[in-house]
Amino acid sequence: MSRAVAIAVLALALAAPAAAQWNGRRWQELSPEEQERAWENYQRYQQLPDQRRDMIERRYQRFQTLPPQEQQRLRHNYDTYRGFDPGQRREFTEKYRRWKGRK
Amino acid sequence: MRCGRAQKSLIAALDGELTPRRRQALDRHLAGCAACRGELATTERVLAALDARPAEAPVSVALEQATLRRVRLAADGDTAVAWWRRLPLPALVVATAVLVLAVGIVRRTGPVPPPAPSGDRVARTFVPKPTARPAPQAGARRSPPPSEPPAELAAAPDKFMNLPILRNLEKLEHFEAIQTTTLDDDDTPNG
Repeated sequence: MSRAVAIAVLALALAAPAAAQWNGRRWQELSPEEQERAWENYQRYQQLPDQRRDMIERRYQRFQTLPPQEQQRLRHNYDTYRGFDPGQRREFTEKYRRWKGRK
Repeated sequence: MRCGRAQKSLIAALDGELTPRRRQALDRHLAGCAACRGELATTERVLAALDARPAEAPVSVALEQATLRRVRLAADGDTAVAWWRRLPLPALVVATAVLVLAVGIVRRTGPVPPPAPSGDRVARTFVPKPTARPAPQAGARRSPPPSEPPAELAAAPDKFMNLPILRNLEKLEHFEAIQTTTLDDDDTPNG
């Protein structure tokens, strides 16, 4: 049990700074590159149908409530996902479709 | 761009992951190819339907992760299970303290600049580590961010910085479970 606590403390200490880099910052605090990325994504967001925007808003609310380690895990998974080549991405999407069908 | 390459890019395009140059090439192809437009529409419908459909089983992410971890460990055997349990508690505490201290020092002092190549006494300027995001493509047209962002963007810039993650949130939350999903037609166990 004590080992588990020690490992949890270690994980939190390492994950929190990385998560803190992303959340709660104001526009003026972003680097020019970050502002550019946020601006591009904002333009993409504006082109989405209302239903998708509502879904993203709900997900954003939920994302903010996740603990830093979980946010970090999602970022790590996203890095893996975006590193997929087109074939791997298609395969993953097909697995996602199967996985969701079994739910 | 040919149809094969275009169709391989469709999912990345729908995820907003293509570089502006590749997106423009895809758009040009789609403008003249009804088959690929149809494929794009179908893919978009499938992904939208999947996104809209709630995951019905009320299994928490933590439980899912714990279960998958156990399955993996069982598959790997006892050696993988016990590496940290064999460590004495004092060693773990010391290691934790050292790492926390190291993180604190790095955060105070900032990132360590990479060493200059040998023989190069001039190039000592700190070069930031490149992010996973690809560099802007030469020649691609991009509108720079406005000096005064729209209110929605100014209110929550992290929402838009994290947009690709939010768009794929369900996939990312259940990433490991999805990856271990088989594509066999018949996945009922024998017997």
